[in-house]
Amino acid sequence: MESFDVPDSTDWIGTPLAGLMQVEQAFRCHVCKDFYNSPMITSCSHTFCSICIRRCLSVDGKCPLCRALDQESKLRGNWALREAVDAFVKSRNTIMEFATTPVSVPTPRSPKRKATELEEPLQEGQNKRPRMATRSSKAKAVEANAVLMREEVDVVESEDTPDYEPEPDDGLVACPICWARMKSWQVDRHIDNSCPGSPQPQKVSSSTTNNRSGSGFGPARSLFQNPPTPTKAPERLPALAYSMLKDTALRKKMGELGLSTAGSRQMLEKRHQEWITLWNANCDSAKPKRRSELMHDLEVWERTMGSRAPTMSRAANMGAQIKDKDFDGAAWATKHDTSFKDLIAKARGSRNKAVQKKDEANEAGESGTPRDDGKGINGTGAMPDLLQGAVVDLTGPPSSQPEPPDSPLREPRGPTSSGVGFTGQGPILGKEALHPLTDRTSTCSSSQGPEGAPS
Amino acid sequence: MTVPFAAKRLGKELQKISNSLPPGVELVSAENFEEWLLDIKVLDNNPIYQNQTYRLKFRFGPSYPIEPPEVVFVQLPDRPIPMHPHVYSNGIICLDLLGQQGWSPVQNVESVCMSLQSMLTGNSKDERPPGDEDFVRANRQRPKDIQFYYHDNNV
Repeated sequence: MESFDVPDSTDWIGTPLAGLMQVEQAFRCHVCKDFYNSPMITSCSHTFCSICIRRCLSVDGKCPLCRALDQESKLRGNWALREAVDAFVKSRNTIMEFATTPVSVPTPRSPKRKATELEEPLQEGQNKRPRMATRSSKAKAVEANAVLMREEVDVVESEDTPDYEPEPDDGLVACPICWARMKSWQVDRHIDNSCPGSPQPQKVSSSTTNNRSGSGFGPARSLFQNPPTPTKAPERLPALAYSMLKDTALRKKMGELGLSTAGSRQMLEKRHQEWITLWNANCDSAKPKRRSELMHDLEVWERTMGSRAPTMSRAANMGAQIKDKDFDGAAWATKHDTSFKDLIAKARGSRNKAVQKKDEANEAGESGTPRDDGKGINGTGAMPDLLQGAVVDLTGPPSSQPEPPDSPLREPRGPTSSGVGFTGQGPILGKEALHPLTDRTSTCSSSQGPEGAPS
Repeated sequence: MTVPFAAKRLGKELQKISNSLPPGVELVSAENFEEWLLDIKVLDNNPIYQNQTYRLKFRFGPSYPIEPPEVVFVQLPDRPIPMHPHVYSNGIICLDLLGQQGWSPVQNVESVCMSLQSMLTGNSKDERPPGDEDFVRANRQRPKDIQFYYHDNNV
């Protein structure tokens, strides 16, 4: 078993900050139990990771929590939660360290104090640590407020935070119109107020009042200029109605997407579905992966659940698929009744041929005159015929002896070898065949047995 | 290396249940991410299940938790198969929660154990499902391929 680093909400149990267990639980997806990754909210107001809910909906179209019907197209990003989760994840280690290192008395009180901290901002001057905590969290709140206020005035203001780094994957998004990079929540306001209206990377959002941020912004611009390829938001792929799609059309579509078209139709559909899930979930992400990374994810899927999955699980998957949802066995049976009957008739026909060959062989062995009795074209004739054959075999072992010299003569003809095989093991096969013959389906399978066998 | 999502999720569940499990549920073994064994007990004094422990076998496919796990009771010298109108004597459980229809990915090993506990707790009939003998004799299918007809809403 591989070992994983598995942080869990239960890590908080036993620390002075046990209350954070609930906080952390609220930040974790109910499906994958991991922190929300691109959280999406459903029509029923439940939130899951993008990839989790997309997988669930593609399987049964219901919300995993309340079983309400929903569609992928109705999912909306839960950006506030995304920011909250990101912030929590970033500081989790620090908080955990703080909670697990044995410290002096005041530690356990700090979480509780949050509620009262507004009323008593400066009372605890003696105690160093809690005071620090109070001040910093308070300061942060104030700062955040200030930032918000300033952003009301000027969008670029946030750029002067000291750890600002103008990398394309820093969690910023590009304005869909002018490609300027900004925090996702700023986009709407930016488009309304200050967007220049055409792709012009330099003219970042507001060229307005602020000198301070402008100067700090200088080096960043040059980076923005070379049009960062990942900024253009990838488009979501539509789901396909596979049942309406012919094989060739599906293969063509998959070819266009650069997906492998190997495997059965069922495999193609599953692969395409998985790709759509991966792709669309990636579209929801704040930091979209490159296509090659998604391809790698698909590769992993291929190895674990797709075409190269261990056979057992593949069989299980197939089974699950056929049993899936609304499969109506009776309707299927009636619909394909004729083809089933056809198969049975064919199987009987080939059985008859085999029997005839065998009879001929026997005849040839005994008297040297091949016999063609013309029996067994229709299905009902097969049974007595075979019975006879079996009886002949059972009763006349000497008659099957001359076969070896006989068989080379018949070698060129297809069914002969199977016929010979049949007689060669006459006593055993005959007996076996007698029992299943009573029911139709096994007639089919038992007569196909010797024919289909590689011999 | 990307870990398949079943293993990832099971890793988290394992971490959680090795820390804490609800009363009456015990982890017996979880050597891999394919098959886990757990013991469950019925906690109230339902006379049918008193002083007994039952062994549950979970088998997880690669699509867990999108697809339900396969859950059966296993018989051992000291681990009987509980008497219940929805539990066959070969350990197969007829519970919609474990079928394609009733399963939801938010369920987990712990919640399944608790559901089974409560299914047993709420039962007052000391009997097997109708047609138990025939089913047990004839069945060669995996539980997930059996088409159950869920009719009893009182479980």
